[in-house]
Amino acid sequence: MATATPTDSMSRVWSMSSLKSSLPSAVTCRLPSPSSRRPVLVSSPSPRLPSFSGLSPVNPLISTGLPGWQSFEDGFKIIDGGGRVYAMRHGRRVPKLNRPPDQRKALLRGLTTQLLKHGRIKTTRARASAMRKFVDKMITLAKDGSLHKRRQALGYIYEKQIVHALFAEVPDRYGERNGGYTRIIRTLPRRGDNAPMAYIELV
Amino acid sequence: MSVNNRDPLVVGGVIGDVLERFTRSIDLRVTYGQREVTNGLDIRPSQILNKPRVEIGGEDLRNFYTLVMVDPDVPSPSNPHLREYLHWLVTDIPATTGTNFGNEIVSYENPRPTSGIHRIVLVLFRQLGRQTVYEPGWRPQFNTREFAALYNLGLPAAAVYFNCQRDNGCGGRRC
Repeated sequence: MATATPTDSMSRVWSMSSLKSSLPSAVTCRLPSPSSRRPVLVSSPSPRLPSFSGLSPVNPLISTGLPGWQSFEDGFKIIDGGGRVYAMRHGRRVPKLNRPPDQRKALLRGLTTQLLKHGRIKTTRARASAMRKFVDKMITLAKDGSLHKRRQALGYIYEKQIVHALFAEVPDRYGERNGGYTRIIRTLPRRGDNAPMAYIELV
Repeated sequence: MSVNNRDPLVVGGVIGDVLERFTRSIDLRVTYGQREVTNGLDIRPSQILNKPRVEIGGEDLRNFYTLVMVDPDVPSPSNPHLREYLHWLVTDIPATTGTNFGNEIVSYENPRPTSGIHRIVLVLFRQLGRQTVYEPGWRPQFNTREFAALYNLGLPAAAVYFNCQRDNGCGGRRC
Protein backbone atom coordinates (compact mmCIF):
# COMPACT_ATOMS: atom_id res chain seq x y z
CA MET A 1 0.00 0.00 0.00
CA ALA A 2 2.74 2.40 -0.89
CA THR A 3 0.77 4.42 -3.39
CA ALA A 4 -0.47 7.72 -2.15
CA THR A 5 -3.96 8.51 -3.22
CA PRO A 6 -5.64 11.72 -2.25
CA THR A 7 -8.72 11.39 -0.13
CA ASP A 8 -11.87 13.04 -1.36
CA SER A 9 -11.70 15.95 1.01
CA MET A 10 -8.10 16.70 0.07
CA SER A 11 -8.64 16.95 -3.66
CA ARG A 12 -11.37 19.44 -3.13
CA VAL A 13 -9.08 21.80 -1.27
CA TRP A 14 -6.05 21.21 -3.44
CA SER A 15 -5.50 24.08 -5.82
CA MET A 16 -3.05 24.94 -8.56
CA SER A 17 -1.24 27.54 -6.54
CA SER A 18 -0.26 25.18 -3.75
CA LEU A 19 0.81 22.61 -6.32
CA LYS A 20 2.87 25.05 -8.35
CA SER A 21 4.59 26.43 -5.31
CA SER A 22 5.85 22.99 -4.35
CA LEU A 23 7.18 22.10 -7.79
CA PRO A 24 10.72 22.85 -8.93
CA SER A 25 10.97 25.87 -11.18
CA ALA A 26 11.99 23.90 -14.27
CA VAL A 27 8.56 22.36 -14.48
CA THR A 28 6.44 25.39 -13.75
CA CYS A 29 7.32 26.92 -17.09
CA ARG A 30 5.44 24.07 -18.73
CA LEU A 31 2.23 25.06 -17.06
CA PRO A 32 -0.06 27.62 -18.64
CA SER A 33 0.09 31.16 -17.29
CA PRO A 34 -2.51 31.99 -14.67
CA SER A 35 -4.34 34.41 -16.92
CA SER A 36 -5.09 31.78 -19.52
CA ARG A 37 -5.95 29.05 -17.03
CA ARG A 38 -9.45 27.76 -17.39
CA PRO A 39 -11.43 27.41 -14.15
CA VAL A 40 -12.14 23.72 -14.70
CA LEU A 41 -8.49 22.84 -14.26
CA VAL A 42 -8.28 24.17 -10.73
CA SER A 43 -9.71 21.05 -9.20
CA SER A 44 -7.83 18.44 -11.25
CA PRO A 45 -4.17 19.23 -11.84
CA SER A 46 -3.33 15.71 -13.02
CA PRO A 47 -4.05 16.25 -16.78
CA ARG A 48 -1.49 19.07 -16.77
CA LEU A 49 1.29 17.11 -15.13
CA PRO A 50 1.54 13.65 -16.61
CA SER A 51 5.04 13.08 -15.32
CA PHE A 52 4.48 13.99 -11.70
CA SER A 53 2.64 11.06 -10.22
CA GLY A 54 5.20 10.83 -7.47
CA LEU A 55 4.18 13.99 -5.70
CA SER A 56 2.58 12.73 -2.57
CA PRO A 57 -0.50 14.66 -1.51
CA VAL A 58 -0.43 12.95 1.84
CA ASN A 59 2.96 14.39 2.68
CA PRO A 60 2.37 16.48 5.78
CA LEU A 61 5.18 18.85 4.81
CA ILE A 62 3.09 20.19 1.97
CA SER A 63 0.63 22.21 3.93
CA THR A 64 -2.80 22.14 2.46
CA GLY A 65 -4.20 23.48 5.68
CA LEU A 66 -6.26 20.43 6.51
CA PRO A 67 -6.73 19.67 10.17
CA GLY A 68 -8.36 16.34 10.29
CA TRP A 69 -5.97 13.44 10.49
CA GLN A 70 -8.26 10.75 11.75
CA SER A 71 -5.48 8.67 13.10
CA PHE A 72 -1.77 8.51 13.14
CA GLU A 73 -1.70 6.09 10.28
CA ASP A 74 -3.57 8.45 7.97
CA GLY A 75 -0.88 11.05 8.15
CA PHE A 76 2.30 9.09 7.76
CA LYS A 77 2.93 6.40 5.25
CA ILE A 78 3.94 3.38 7.04
CA ILE A 79 6.36 3.13 9.82
CA ASP A 80 9.04 1.17 8.06
CA GLY A 81 11.64 -1.02 9.70
CA GLY A 82 15.29 -0.30 9.98
CA GLY A 83 17.78 -2.70 8.46
CA ARG A 84 18.05 -4.11 5.01
CA VAL A 85 14.70 -5.00 3.63
CA TYR A 86 14.51 -7.26 0.63
CA ALA A 87 11.48 -8.24 -1.31
CA MET A 88 12.13 -11.96 -1.03
CA ARG A 89 12.54 -14.51 1.74
CA HIS A 90 14.35 -17.18 -0.27
CA GLY A 91 15.96 -19.85 1.92
CA ARG A 92 15.24 -18.18 5.25
CA ARG A 93 13.90 -20.90 7.48
CA VAL A 94 14.24 -19.71 11.01
CA PRO A 95 14.40 -16.17 12.44
CA LYS A 96 17.72 -15.94 14.20
CA LEU A 97 17.11 -12.74 16.16
CA ASN A 98 20.86 -11.99 16.25
CA ARG A 99 21.47 -14.54 18.96
CA PRO A 100 23.04 -17.95 19.37
CA PRO A 101 20.56 -20.82 19.55
CA ASP A 102 20.46 -21.23 23.32
CA GLN A 103 19.84 -17.54 23.91
CA ARG A 104 17.29 -17.45 21.16
CA LYS A 105 15.33 -20.26 22.73
CA ALA A 106 15.48 -18.59 26.11
CA LEU A 107 14.36 -15.28 24.66
CA LEU A 108 11.37 -16.85 22.97
CA ARG A 109 10.44 -18.78 26.07
CA GLY A 110 10.55 -15.62 28.10
CA LEU A 111 8.51 -13.68 25.58
CA THR A 112 5.79 -16.30 25.33
CA THR A 113 5.63 -16.58 29.10
CA GLN A 114 5.15 -12.82 29.39
CA LEU A 115 2.57 -12.70 26.65
CA LEU A 116 0.53 -15.46 28.23
CA LYS A 117 0.82 -13.68 31.54
CA HIS A 118 -0.06 -10.15 30.48
CA GLY A 119 -2.13 -10.64 27.37
CA ARG A 120 -0.51 -7.84 25.45
CA ILE A 121 3.13 -6.84 25.26
CA LYS A 122 5.18 -4.43 23.26
CA THR A 123 8.35 -5.62 21.66
CA THR A 124 10.30 -5.34 18.43
CA ARG A 125 8.63 -6.45 15.24
CA ALA A 126 11.09 -9.22 14.51
CA ARG A 127 10.61 -10.73 17.94
CA ALA A 128 6.86 -10.41 17.79
CA SER A 129 6.62 -12.20 14.47
CA ALA A 130 9.11 -14.84 15.63
CA MET A 131 7.18 -15.67 18.75
CA ARG A 132 3.82 -16.21 17.08
CA LYS A 133 4.67 -19.80 16.30
CA PHE A 134 5.51 -20.62 19.88
CA VAL A 135 2.51 -18.90 21.39
CA ASP A 136 0.25 -20.80 19.02
CA LYS A 137 2.03 -23.98 19.95
CA MET A 138 1.41 -23.41 23.65
CA ILE A 139 -2.24 -22.70 23.08
CA THR A 140 -2.57 -25.83 20.97
CA LEU A 141 -1.02 -27.86 23.79
CA ALA A 142 -3.54 -26.37 26.16
CA LYS A 143 -6.39 -27.16 23.82
CA ASP A 144 -5.43 -30.80 23.92
CA GLY A 145 -5.38 -30.73 27.71
CA SER A 146 -3.89 -34.12 28.50
CA LEU A 147 -1.27 -34.68 31.18
CA HIS A 148 1.49 -35.28 28.68
CA LYS A 149 0.76 -32.00 26.93
CA ARG A 150 0.60 -30.23 30.25
CA ARG A 151 4.05 -31.48 31.13
CA GLN A 152 5.35 -30.43 27.76
CA ALA A 153 3.99 -26.95 28.37
CA LEU A 154 5.52 -26.90 31.82
CA GLY A 155 8.86 -27.63 30.21
CA TYR A 156 8.61 -24.59 28.01
CA ILE A 157 6.93 -21.88 30.02
CA TYR A 158 8.85 -20.46 32.90
CA GLU A 159 6.03 -20.05 35.41
CA LYS A 160 3.84 -22.98 36.26
CA GLN A 161 0.86 -20.91 37.44
CA ILE A 162 0.59 -19.55 33.94
CA VAL A 163 0.48 -23.06 32.50
CA HIS A 164 -2.27 -24.09 34.87
CA ALA A 165 -4.26 -20.94 34.18
CA LEU A 166 -3.77 -21.46 30.46
CA PHE A 167 -5.01 -25.03 30.54
CA ALA A 168 -8.01 -23.91 32.53
CA GLU A 169 -9.21 -21.10 30.29
CA VAL A 170 -8.12 -22.01 26.76
CA PRO A 171 -10.99 -24.42 25.97
CA ASP A 172 -13.52 -21.68 26.67
CA ARG A 173 -11.66 -18.90 25.02
CA TYR A 174 -10.23 -20.55 21.93
CA GLY A 175 -12.43 -23.61 21.61
CA GLU A 176 -13.86 -22.59 18.27
CA ARG A 177 -10.94 -20.71 16.85
CA ASN A 178 -8.60 -22.69 14.64
CA GLY A 179 -5.19 -21.16 14.80
CA GLY A 180 -4.27 -17.50 14.68
CA TYR A 181 -4.41 -16.89 18.37
CA THR A 182 -2.31 -13.75 18.26
CA ARG A 183 -2.50 -10.39 16.61
CA ILE A 184 0.38 -8.06 15.84
CA ILE A 185 -0.09 -4.32 15.60
CA ARG A 186 2.82 -2.27 14.37
CA THR A 187 3.55 0.92 16.21
CA LEU A 188 6.01 3.75 16.51
CA PRO A 189 9.73 3.00 16.53
CA ARG A 190 11.62 2.96 19.80
CA ARG A 191 13.27 6.22 20.67
CA GLY A 192 16.74 4.95 21.63
CA ASP A 193 17.61 3.04 18.49
CA ASN A 194 14.70 3.54 16.13
CA ALA A 195 13.87 -0.13 16.28
CA PRO A 196 10.49 -0.89 14.76
CA MET A 197 8.13 -1.89 17.53
CA ALA A 198 4.89 -3.83 17.64
CA TYR A 199 2.24 -4.85 20.07
CA ILE A 200 1.50 -8.52 20.13
CA GLU A 201 -1.66 -9.62 21.85
CA LEU A 202 -3.74 -12.70 22.35
CA VAL A 203 -6.76 -12.53 20.17
CA MET B 1 -15.58 6.74 4.04
CA SER B 2 -15.89 3.03 4.56
CA VAL B 3 -14.00 1.03 7.15
CA ASN B 4 -11.50 -1.28 5.48
CA ASN B 5 -9.53 -4.05 7.13
CA ARG B 6 -6.54 -1.86 7.70
CA ASP B 7 -8.45 0.68 9.71
CA PRO B 8 -6.77 1.10 13.10
CA LEU B 9 -9.96 0.26 14.95
CA VAL B 10 -10.17 -3.10 13.18
CA VAL B 11 -6.46 -3.81 13.52
CA GLY B 12 -6.52 -2.96 17.21
CA GLY B 13 -9.47 -5.26 17.78
CA VAL B 14 -11.79 -2.52 19.01
CA ILE B 15 -14.27 -3.40 16.27
CA GLY B 16 -15.04 -6.90 17.38
CA ASP B 17 -14.41 -6.64 21.09
CA VAL B 18 -16.34 -3.48 21.82
CA LEU B 19 -18.10 -2.19 18.72
CA GLU B 20 -19.63 -3.36 15.49
CA ARG B 21 -18.38 -2.21 12.13
CA PHE B 22 -19.58 1.27 11.49
CA THR B 23 -19.03 4.15 9.12
CA ARG B 24 -17.61 7.22 10.70
CA SER B 25 -20.06 10.07 10.31
CA ILE B 26 -18.68 12.85 12.46
CA ASP B 27 -15.34 14.23 13.59
CA LEU B 28 -14.11 13.47 17.06
CA ARG B 29 -11.10 15.15 18.60
CA VAL B 30 -9.88 14.09 22.04
CA THR B 31 -7.05 16.02 23.65
CA TYR B 32 -5.29 15.29 26.93
CA GLY B 33 -3.42 18.46 27.77
CA GLN B 34 -1.38 19.12 24.67
CA ARG B 35 -1.53 15.64 23.18
CA GLU B 36 -4.21 14.74 20.72
CA VAL B 37 -5.33 11.17 20.96
CA THR B 38 -4.83 9.15 17.81
CA ASN B 39 -5.63 5.47 17.50
CA GLY B 40 -3.16 3.29 19.32
CA LEU B 41 -1.33 6.13 21.05
CA ASP B 42 0.60 5.21 24.20
CA ILE B 43 -0.42 7.26 27.24
CA ARG B 44 0.48 6.82 30.89
CA PRO B 45 -2.04 7.15 33.71
CA SER B 46 -0.23 10.20 35.04
CA GLN B 47 -1.12 12.04 31.85
CA ILE B 48 -4.79 11.20 31.97
CA LEU B 49 -5.63 12.14 35.52
CA ASN B 50 -8.06 14.80 34.38
CA LYS B 51 -10.77 14.51 31.82
CA PRO B 52 -9.79 15.27 28.25
CA ARG B 53 -11.05 18.02 26.05
CA VAL B 54 -13.42 16.49 23.55
CA GLU B 55 -14.60 18.36 20.47
CA ILE B 56 -17.06 16.92 18.04
CA GLY B 57 -17.90 18.00 14.55
CA GLY B 58 -21.18 18.01 12.74
CA GLU B 59 -23.20 21.06 11.78
CA ASP B 60 -26.54 21.12 13.51
CA LEU B 61 -26.70 22.12 17.16
CA ARG B 62 -29.97 20.30 17.46
CA ASN B 63 -28.32 16.89 17.11
CA PHE B 64 -27.23 15.40 20.41
CA TYR B 65 -24.50 12.90 21.01
CA THR B 66 -23.42 10.57 23.77
CA LEU B 67 -19.79 9.90 24.60
CA VAL B 68 -18.81 6.63 26.26
CA MET B 69 -15.33 5.85 27.57
CA VAL B 70 -14.66 2.20 28.36
CA ASP B 71 -11.76 -0.08 29.08
CA PRO B 72 -12.34 -3.51 27.55
CA ASP B 73 -9.24 -5.10 29.09
CA VAL B 74 -10.05 -5.14 32.78
CA PRO B 75 -8.51 -6.46 34.92
CA SER B 76 -5.89 -7.71 32.48
CA PRO B 77 -5.84 -8.18 28.70
CA SER B 78 -5.07 -11.87 29.14
CA ASN B 79 -8.09 -12.35 31.38
CA PRO B 80 -10.69 -9.65 30.78
CA HIS B 81 -13.48 -11.14 32.87
CA LEU B 82 -14.68 -7.72 34.00
CA ARG B 83 -14.99 -6.43 30.46
CA GLU B 84 -15.74 -3.55 30.05
CA TYR B 85 -15.16 -0.90 32.69
CA LEU B 86 -17.06 2.32 32.23
CA HIS B 87 -14.87 5.35 32.90
CA TRP B 88 -16.97 8.24 31.65
CA LEU B 89 -20.42 8.81 30.22
CA VAL B 90 -21.56 12.18 28.89
CA THR B 91 -24.89 12.66 27.16
CA ASP B 92 -26.74 15.45 25.38
CA ILE B 93 -23.66 16.89 23.75
CA PRO B 94 -24.78 19.24 20.96
CA ALA B 95 -22.97 18.84 17.64
CA THR B 96 -20.02 21.17 16.98
CA THR B 97 -19.43 21.56 20.73
CA GLY B 98 -17.68 19.51 23.37
CA THR B 99 -18.29 17.57 26.54
CA ASN B 100 -18.42 20.75 28.59
CA PHE B 101 -21.83 21.37 27.06
CA GLY B 102 -23.12 17.91 27.77
CA ASN B 103 -24.61 16.20 30.76
CA GLU B 104 -21.99 14.12 32.58
CA ILE B 105 -24.01 11.32 34.10
CA VAL B 106 -21.09 9.07 35.01
CA SER B 107 -18.19 11.15 36.22
CA TYR B 108 -14.72 10.77 34.81
CA GLU B 109 -12.56 8.21 36.55
CA ASN B 110 -9.00 8.11 35.36
CA PRO B 111 -7.85 4.70 34.22
CA ARG B 112 -5.28 3.00 36.45
CA PRO B 113 -4.37 -0.32 34.88
CA THR B 114 -2.48 -2.65 37.16
CA SER B 115 -1.59 -5.43 34.78
CA GLY B 116 -0.74 -5.40 31.09
CA ILE B 117 -1.48 -2.86 28.41
CA HIS B 118 -5.11 -1.79 28.30
CA ARG B 119 -6.98 -0.24 25.42
CA ILE B 120 -9.21 2.68 26.36
CA VAL B 121 -11.95 3.33 23.83
CA LEU B 122 -13.95 6.53 23.40
CA VAL B 123 -17.12 6.07 21.41
CA LEU B 124 -19.54 8.67 20.19
CA PHE B 125 -23.18 7.76 19.59
CA ARG B 126 -25.89 9.89 18.11
CA GLN B 127 -28.97 10.29 20.26
CA LEU B 128 -32.46 10.31 18.86
CA GLY B 129 -33.57 13.07 21.17
CA ARG B 130 -32.63 14.93 24.32
CA GLN B 131 -32.43 13.26 27.72
CA THR B 132 -33.18 9.79 26.49
CA VAL B 133 -30.10 8.14 28.03
CA TYR B 134 -29.75 7.14 31.67
CA GLU B 135 -26.83 5.94 33.71
CA PRO B 136 -26.17 2.26 34.28
CA GLY B 137 -26.09 0.91 37.80
CA TRP B 138 -22.37 0.14 38.00
CA ARG B 139 -19.12 0.61 36.16
CA PRO B 140 -17.63 -2.86 35.56
CA GLN B 141 -19.27 -5.47 33.31
CA PHE B 142 -20.53 -2.70 31.09
CA ASN B 143 -21.52 -3.74 27.58
CA THR B 144 -21.40 -1.00 24.98
CA ARG B 145 -23.43 -2.97 22.45
CA GLU B 146 -26.25 -3.61 24.89
CA PHE B 147 -26.15 -0.04 26.08
CA ALA B 148 -26.54 1.21 22.52
CA ALA B 149 -29.35 -1.23 21.83
CA LEU B 150 -31.12 -0.30 25.06
CA TYR B 151 -31.26 3.41 24.29
CA ASN B 152 -31.63 3.05 20.52
CA LEU B 153 -28.33 4.72 19.84
CA GLY B 154 -27.61 2.52 16.83
CA LEU B 155 -24.17 2.21 15.36
CA PRO B 156 -21.41 4.50 16.62
CA ALA B 157 -20.82 7.81 14.92
CA ALA B 158 -17.12 7.93 15.73
CA ALA B 159 -14.59 6.12 17.87
CA VAL B 160 -10.98 6.40 18.93
CA TYR B 161 -8.83 4.32 21.23
CA PHE B 162 -5.47 4.57 22.96
CA ASN B 163 -3.22 2.27 24.98
CA CYS B 164 -2.52 2.72 28.65
CA GLN B 165 -0.31 0.86 31.09
CA ARG B 166 1.10 1.36 34.55
CA ASP B 167 3.37 4.32 35.17
CA ASN B 168 6.25 2.35 36.59
CA GLY B 169 5.93 -0.54 34.19
CA CYS B 170 8.70 -1.28 31.74
CA GLY B 171 6.74 0.20 28.89
CA GLY B 172 5.34 -3.23 28.16
CA ARG B 173 8.69 -3.90 26.60
CA ARG B 174 9.73 -7.50 26.78
CA CYS B 175 12.96 -7.52 24.91
